[in-house]
Amino acid sequence: MAQDWRIVTLFIGSILVLGAIIGGPLVYAIMLSFYSAKSFVGELQWVGLANYAKAIQDPLFWQSFANGLMIALSAIFLQVVLGVGIALVLNRRFFGQSVVRAVSILPYFLPTVVACLIAQWILDPNYGLLKSLLASFGIGIADWSSQAFTARGTIVLVSVWLWTPFVVTCVLAGLQTIPTQLYEAARVDGAGPWRQFWHITLPGLRSVLVVVILLRGIWMFNKFDLIWLLTKGGPLNQTETLPTLAYRKSFLEFNLGGGAAVATISFLILAGVMLIYLRLFPIDDTKQER
Amino acid sequence: MARISLQHVSKSFGGEQGPWAVKDFCLEIEDGELIVFVGPSGCGKSTTLRMIAGLDEATSGAIVIGGRNVTGLPPKDRNVAMVFQNYALYPQKTVYDNMAFGLHVRGEDKQEIDRRVRAAAASLDLEALLDRKPRQLSGGQMQRVALGRALVRDPDVFLLDEPLSNLDAKLRVKMREEIATLHARLRATMIFVTHDQVEAMTLGDRIVIMRDGVIQQAGKPLELYDTPANTFVAGFIGSPEMNLIDGQLIDEGGRMAVRSGDLTISIPERTFTTNEGTVTLGIRPEHLVIADGSPFEMTVSLVEQIGAQTYLMGMIAGHRMRAVFDRRDGIRSGDKVPIAFPKERLHLFASASGATLRMSEADVKEYS
Repeated sequence: MAQDWRIVTLFIGSILVLGAIIGGPLVYAIMLSFYSAKSFVGELQWVGLANYAKAIQDPLFWQSFANGLMIALSAIFLQVVLGVGIALVLNRRFFGQSVVRAVSILPYFLPTVVACLIAQWILDPNYGLLKSLLASFGIGIADWSSQAFTARGTIVLVSVWLWTPFVVTCVLAGLQTIPTQLYEAARVDGAGPWRQFWHITLPGLRSVLVVVILLRGIWMFNKFDLIWLLTKGGPLNQTETLPTLAYRKSFLEFNLGGGAAVATISFLILAGVMLIYLRLFPIDDTKQER
Repeated sequence: MARISLQHVSKSFGGEQGPWAVKDFCLEIEDGELIVFVGPSGCGKSTTLRMIAGLDEATSGAIVIGGRNVTGLPPKDRNVAMVFQNYALYPQKTVYDNMAFGLHVRGEDKQEIDRRVRAAAASLDLEALLDRKPRQLSGGQMQRVALGRALVRDPDVFLLDEPLSNLDAKLRVKMREEIATLHARLRATMIFVTHDQVEAMTLGDRIVIMRDGVIQQAGKPLELYDTPANTFVAGFIGSPEMNLIDGQLIDEGGRMAVRSGDLTISIPERTFTTNEGTVTLGIRPEHLVIADGSPFEMTVSLVEQIGAQTYLMGMIAGHRMRAVFDRRDGIRSGDKVPIAFPKERLHLFASASGATLRMSEADVKEYS
């Protein structure tokens, strides 16, 4: 019995700590969204659902939502396709395999701010590496941050550079779990490399990919630091997403309630999408068939 | 269905210098024959099978299936089907799709695929399981699906790599019977790899015993039992193992005998070549007989009652030996049992090489 009490105490303790550091701010943010507030210390004024009404009537909100969706989807697509491809290559036996595998995870260790600074150094239209490289071939370079497509493209490319290694690592681990005899059976059955990939590798990676896409989806849709460091949502809100919009409203426009409303809607959208996703693609695929 | 000819096939995983996993493997397998490769782990039996399948490339030699040299061809162009030890069923596919996959890949017509899958399923009693996934099957069912997957392909050769090793003892006997029945019905060329000598003896039309990549002996099961080519085969086939006694060949007043310590056993005439000095005498435990008045006595140290038989272990003139008799209830540990060595049941091997000293029938004729 004494031991049971110890377990219960530890359990309750951890629930309290988690509640304080995650639940508390969450509840506070949701609460803020029903008030008008200019700062965290000022007086709060109850406005009901007005912040929400304002948010969804604002075209910028929907544009940010669309931007975020576009950036997240294209980044996840590239990360997964490249990640699977690189993992397949790294899974083959070659000289120096373990060294290359270790090096390939390195970008994942870079702090986002460092990666963004490097990207800006390379891409800067006035003094960037790329500019001088292209100039030596007599090619000029436009300012990537001044056009919607190139600005979004830069965000996607930097995110691919930073987080593809995460996908590679997960997929490599997944590949190890596929029995080699399945490939041998397929070879005897007459399946070529493409059919082996389609009928054995991909189904074998299913659970890994479901989790990887889920995690990368959440992280990319909620991405703030990368976008803020690279473009601050510009040019002309073309790379504004719901997290940057919430930040802008809260801390630059001193509209804490409005920012909280945007953040809350964003949270609800993400939660809804993830629930549907997990219903469609259960992590444990035994549930799918029965 | 096809004949298979393995001509000086060798395999080394370390290039031309070796070490050799399979060395100079020569064998002709007849059309419709069920041949068993047997031997301890690492003897090269699976490697040989994989070379026939095309999963491993032969370092040298030629593999001919149905008159076609397939040595350099990929597995898909050899028209072989393989059953793996851990079944290797595609986990995300249903039983039906597992069986249909090989035909589908080869671009067979849908109706034809359906006809063949259902026919194979019917013959293996799998009809009720066609919609299941492998993880919903028992070990025996998975093994039948793996067999079915091979069956639908209608291959020239069936290759079975330790297919029964993952099953429990009871199921193994049942599946062994099913494979034997299947072979009797199809009369297909089959190569069956196992480390289990009982499986080898019961299933094989012929058995190939391998050790360290080299064929030790190939022949019908009872040939291997009756006239083992060397001490390795003598020890491998038969359970409990053959008793082997190292000794000297001596001339005992015109009759040849083997002497080892206090034990002198005369050997039959015109059966063995007798120009070796140091020899190994062999006799199977089940060939020893209890004979009152015999000069040899076994001091029994262990009695095992199997039911129909009684296993004895003990010492005969300083040599540890095993004996098997039809059930005897009276024998206790510590008893002395008079034992005789029937001459016609003796085996003689050269100690140095382990090779049998038994003369071939032609030699015997010439000698007499």
